[in-house]
Amino acid sequence: MSYTLVAAEVRRGVFEERNLDSIGIAALLQKDIVLLVPEGAYEIKGNFVNIIIKTAVNEEIFLNPLNFITILEKIMNSRGKPDVIVFTHSSSGTELASYVAGHFNMPLVTDVSGFDKETNVFYKSYYSDKIFGEFRQAGNGPCVVTVRSGSFKEHVIEKGPVETAALEDFALAEGRTFIEYVEEEKGDVDITKAEFLLSVGRGIGNKDEIADYQELAGFLRATLSGSRPVIDKMWLPKAQQVGTSGKTVKPKVYLAMGISGAFQHIAGMKDSDCIIAVNKDPEAPIFQYAHYGIIGDANKLRDKLKDIVKG
Amino acid sequence: MAIQTQTRVLTCIQCGKCTGSCPEAGRTPFNIRMLVRKKQFQHQIEESIPWYCTSCGACTIRCPRDVKPSEMIIDLRSAMVEEGDIPATIQKALENTFVQKNPWGRSRAKRGAWFEKMEIEIPHVSETESRRLLFTCCIQAYDPRCMVIPVNVATILNKAGVEFGVLGEEEACCGNEIRRIGELGLVEELQEENKAVFEEYGVKEIIALSPHCMNTLKKEYGDLGIKVSHYTELIASLIKNGSLVPRESYNKKVIYHDPCFLGKQNNIFDEPRDILTSIDGLDLLEFSRSRENSMCCEGGGGRMFFEVEAVYQRNADLRVQEAVDRGAEEIATSCPFCVMTLEDPATEKGIKVKELSEILMEVL
Amino acid sequence: MNLLVFTKRVPATQEEELRIVDEGRGVDLSKVPFKVNDWDNYAVEEAVRIVEKTGGTVTAISMGDAESDEVLRRAIAMGAKDGFLIETDQILHDPGARATVIQNFLKKESVPFDAIFTGVQSEDDQFGAVGGILAAKLGLPFVSMVIGIDAFESDHIIARRELEGGLQEKVKIMLPGVISIQTGINEPRYVSIMGVRKASKVERKIFKGKEYDDNVNSTIELVKWAYPVRKGEATMLNGELDGICKELLGILKEKGVYQ
Repeated sequence: MSYTLVAAEVRRGVFEERNLDSIGIAALLQKDIVLLVPEGAYEIKGNFVNIIIKTAVNEEIFLNPLNFITILEKIMNSRGKPDVIVFTHSSSGTELASYVAGHFNMPLVTDVSGFDKETNVFYKSYYSDKIFGEFRQAGNGPCVVTVRSGSFKEHVIEKGPVETAALEDFALAEGRTFIEYVEEEKGDVDITKAEFLLSVGRGIGNKDEIADYQELAGFLRATLSGSRPVIDKMWLPKAQQVGTSGKTVKPKVYLAMGISGAFQHIAGMKDSDCIIAVNKDPEAPIFQYAHYGIIGDANKLRDKLKDIVKG
Repeated sequence: MAIQTQTRVLTCIQCGKCTGSCPEAGRTPFNIRMLVRKKQFQHQIEESIPWYCTSCGACTIRCPRDVKPSEMIIDLRSAMVEEGDIPATIQKALENTFVQKNPWGRSRAKRGAWFEKMEIEIPHVSETESRRLLFTCCIQAYDPRCMVIPVNVATILNKAGVEFGVLGEEEACCGNEIRRIGELGLVEELQEENKAVFEEYGVKEIIALSPHCMNTLKKEYGDLGIKVSHYTELIASLIKNGSLVPRESYNKKVIYHDPCFLGKQNNIFDEPRDILTSIDGLDLLEFSRSRENSMCCEGGGGRMFFEVEAVYQRNADLRVQEAVDRGAEEIATSCPFCVMTLEDPATEKGIKVKELSEILMEVL
Repeated sequence: MNLLVFTKRVPATQEEELRIVDEGRGVDLSKVPFKVNDWDNYAVEEAVRIVEKTGGTVTAISMGDAESDEVLRRAIAMGAKDGFLIETDQILHDPGARATVIQNFLKKESVPFDAIFTGVQSEDDQFGAVGGILAAKLGLPFVSMVIGIDAFESDHIIARRELEGGLQEKVKIMLPGVISIQTGINEPRYVSIMGVRKASKVERKIFKGKEYDDNVNSTIELVKWAYPVRKGEATMLNGELDGICKELLGILKEKGVYQ
């Protein structure tokens, strides 16, 4: 009885949103979906799997690759081998997937962002995401994939009543042990680590406007950054400068407000996943690099956004 | 180089003319006279200090002895480069130049994009009889704002019936800024590559679009047997002999800013002015510090890639303010670095910065 | 302390426009310049810093064509004691196959090590798997996405892993083990051209990749290459300010940065 095994990622007691992408690709594979989870008081959103296997260990032990292979061994011994084992393409997911693939000698394709049901081909991005490699498993037996977040969650299917099973305790590996979580230091802002940057340029006018941008950034959970003129004028500290003589950033979203897009600035952010530019000048060079553009007054937009978000 | 530097600094009499002409003096911790003194006594020099230098060359030009302080700065920097201990952004610029042959790290394959898009056909220099090469320059090849300059100059030369060709992706960074940054090994590689290409295609003459490129090709590439000049020299002579005639008028007050690498370092002051004064209606204004005393815009010497620690009012800001105070409507200059550094404060103060070719395109 | 660091020469594709050729069977890399894989650069720097503090040596190993010597020279210029090239012209897409070649090599040549450093992934194939697969095959402890090494003792290390959203996880792994290094762990020193020239004087040993072929099979096959769906020019948001703002918030939600 073949099935798809989805290894869930639970961190800090949160069943990560990206697990839905793992379940989504499992739905496309059209076999029974078995969700493997650690112990803990977290909520699994939705009813999209057939079986949930809860292990008796907490998330830190569960996500330790040296333990995970033991967990997998037990499951395969009792249920037989799955067709596909799915992990999230994330820090933990990829770490687990590679160790599992190496230990059990299974084929592995990572960062899968597409799948063709007819041909069983996985799409994987290559060369700075400019080309996709279409990969297929050679031979039979279980294979391992990690899936890119946001790629498959629309494919989840509502399922009937879910069956639960438990996995009993086992001897823990000693080669690697979890010590503790470490929070981000609240020192100098590190804009290179931010997923969402709200960046301001000369176009915002003067230093007094910064406080309102700071407030908006707070509401949007964005990190504030700026172009060189803004730092030169000391409206923002140097650590928050984006550009050739500042930092190079690649956030998920770069919201550029009042930034014209001088070459030296573009060089520092052009590889951002999604660039949204707001500028009064329709000829501003930044629009050549942006994915979305808004021609208008950045300060007015900021105020409207704040009203909407606060309300 | 280290030995030459050590010998030269010993001739320093600490007169202070260098610091007196330095664009960084007084406003930043950079004091070139003191640095020379420290070098004389082999004292430790704080590692961020040498990076303030903009390579304007004023100190070396005015020194009554043969100290060549700007060369000493290159020497200090090259020691740090060999140690591997240089600011991260400078490192990136050097690594980019190594891989893509331009400090911005843009694709080498796209270095010729500017002429591929033009309506007139620009031949490869090997296809020309004159073997006259238009040397593009990294920033003009890739920055959309500066890309208009080679397009303009190519159009103007074409109009004047002057034959020229380009190298496209076979052109590598000239190495002028790289030398100022102190990566002498990389400079050697760039020079070797460019020289080999010049030889392969029998290049006889080089028209450089940037004063920086012209400077190094003319003075630091050794005896190439090739005539090197800046495009303003050629255009000034074309206007003089009637091959180019500015027909339209340009009724504006234009103030001219002498770039360091064109002006004080290579004595090309008149040609850009001749071009501007040949235009009907153009009212040419002068800065108080002009020609040999022109105020450095602080774009050179690696400053494009490096943020200094000191916070002070930039020269570019002061320069633009003076332009406004003198009633200028536009600032004209003939160097892409000056264009880029002056444009930010200029836009803020409501005055335009025009590269000479941009003015020419409106009047020819 | 004997550290092995794997380093790879990769095409610099960030700025290039790539073309698929040969009816989908190949990608034209003929005009693309090559460089050291960014992650591996950080790994070499980290390994060198560790031995500078604790004593020991770093050996750089690269698996690739003859040109890969370039990244070995670079590692030596940064402080590695020597470099080994596992020379092969064959491109193995399957990370499992690559890990097996390395496993065979380490065994056959009896290469001693206390720890193996790799980069998290390589810029060309972006698989991010060789380190983990190799660790499992060698039966060694493994830790990936290492953003800081807080302690390096003779029998264990304490490392911090980078998780999502700025969070880190501190773990202890016993040595010998495999450590995959994340970018940003340190600031790699600059390697000057003259420095690389000096490094050329250190001998790099060349080994023939064919000798380590046992059990090397590709378990995944590349069917063909394809282009991603092209994004066009900027989509302009128009209309009333209110509507634009709501549309903008919608985009932020879709990208997962705003709930």
